[in-house]
Amino acid sequence: MPRTIVAMGGGGFTMEPDTPALDDFVLTLAERREPRILFLPTASGDPREQIARFHATFDDRPCEPSVLSVFRLTDLRRPLREIVLSQDIVYVGGGSMRNLLALWRLHQLDAMLVEAWARGIVLAGLSAGAMCWFEGGVTTSFGPPEPTTGLGLLPGSLSVHADGEPARRPVFLRAVADGTLPAGYLVNDGVGLVFRDTALRQAVSSRPQARALRVERVDGGVVETPVLPQYLPCAAREHRPTPFDILEFRRAHLGASRRE
Amino acid sequence: MARPPQIVAFGGGGFSMESGNPLLDDYVLAVTGVERPRVCFVPTASGDADHYVVRFYRAFAPGRCDPSHLSLFRRDRGGGGLGADPAEHLLAQDLIYVGGGSVVSLLGTWRAHGLHEVLAEAWRRGVVLCGLSAGSLCWFAEAVTAFHGPPRRIDGLGLLPYSNCVHYDGDPARRDEYRHFVTGGMRGGFAADDAAALHFVGTDLHRVVASRPGPRGWRVGVHAGELVEEPLDALDLAAPAVALAAA
Repeated sequence: MPRTIVAMGGGGFTMEPDTPALDDFVLTLAERREPRILFLPTASGDPREQIARFHATFDDRPCEPSVLSVFRLTDLRRPLREIVLSQDIVYVGGGSMRNLLALWRLHQLDAMLVEAWARGIVLAGLSAGAMCWFEGGVTTSFGPPEPTTGLGLLPGSLSVHADGEPARRPVFLRAVADGTLPAGYLVNDGVGLVFRDTALRQAVSSRPQARALRVERVDGGVVETPVLPQYLPCAAREHRPTPFDILEFRRAHLGASRRE
Repeated sequence: MARPPQIVAFGGGGFSMESGNPLLDDYVLAVTGVERPRVCFVPTASGDADHYVVRFYRAFAPGRCDPSHLSLFRRDRGGGGLGADPAEHLLAQDLIYVGGGSVVSLLGTWRAHGLHEVLAEAWRRGVVLCGLSAGSLCWFAEAVTAFHGPPRRIDGLGLLPYSNCVHYDGDPARRDEYRHFVTGGMRGGFAADDAAALHFVGTDLHRVVASRPGPRGWRVGVHAGELVEEPLDALDLAAPAVALAAA
């Protein structure tokens, strides 16, 4: 099984709910025709509004969506590990990377996600939910942007929202130049980098002009090499909603497992 | 004048649970001894839920206090409108009010931001600490949480060298488990019913108060191998005499 990670600089249903291109793309990476997709809104404190948006986006797509809240673990009917490892895709939301990693460690979710990755479960995420897979990134968990450490599944570093939150960019470039962070990628909103095992396999984008940069340290400075993403055609917008009777069938049939 | 360290630990109640009964919230405001106390709400245990923050501001209107809140999930957006340094803000308060939710996630998030040390310092300096449920359990050395399914033991910040159990009347499974833990070697401590609150000055229990007649506190320990559960009558804040004394 190839190990797959999709790291988004921003975008997807939490940031661009009217542009489902990246989310639809993530669904295509799973081997199952109707993949089980688990959303982890941990980095934002599991807000109801984000959970509602996840359901609004995925409930009528060809998948089995569910949500895991570490603030509401009381509703779980199965062990956490079993829930995580029974997925085809785990989708991690943005927010505070510091809180995300602290809460995952607390519940041993970090180790479970490494296991999920090794088993071929697709790991996807944006912002904090993208940087967490790398050795390091640039977080605003404490306010001003600063370099921070991730789980290190993928070698190198990632900095997100290169266009949407430009204050991160100089901090990232400086950190790579002085060796605080290893070489990595600077990614715009709307861009997703797909890693198979630990190598960049593909770059995709929901926005025609969105870009990513490979940033490497050379002689105490940095060298930036553009990565041109493949623009995902908006065929996704012509997506046909799942018929009502099918939805009802799924609710009745899968209701118990979905309420996790 | 040096203010003594004080903690008011609710078994349940206040604006989070007792809509229309502000007596426990009024009590903690009065404990500060300040006419218009600075109150900071810390909703970490709920994941900084927006609706919870809104309800706090409704209950703690600017007419009677100077309210603020601290968000540890949105520090890039000012963390609730505070300055860059939450420590400075917290230490300048008269009252820190910790909301309910998951005590495990609460403590983990606090540690990630160094807040456990800031809150201990605030307590030593006489900032009144209060809270319900997770916001009560967190102050004690040990506690029983039932938030993650079956009741289990956790270590709190340890400002109060006891164990703690909340919702004592409202959740029989939790009560049984707490007795079981204490019998089995967990340190003795205090429990509180919903609508009752344990008020500690320093590390000594000063009094128990309640927002209606009936709810109590409990001292739970082991004597000669036997579990001893001693009821602690609460001062009923709803009684007319108390209302007069406060006025």
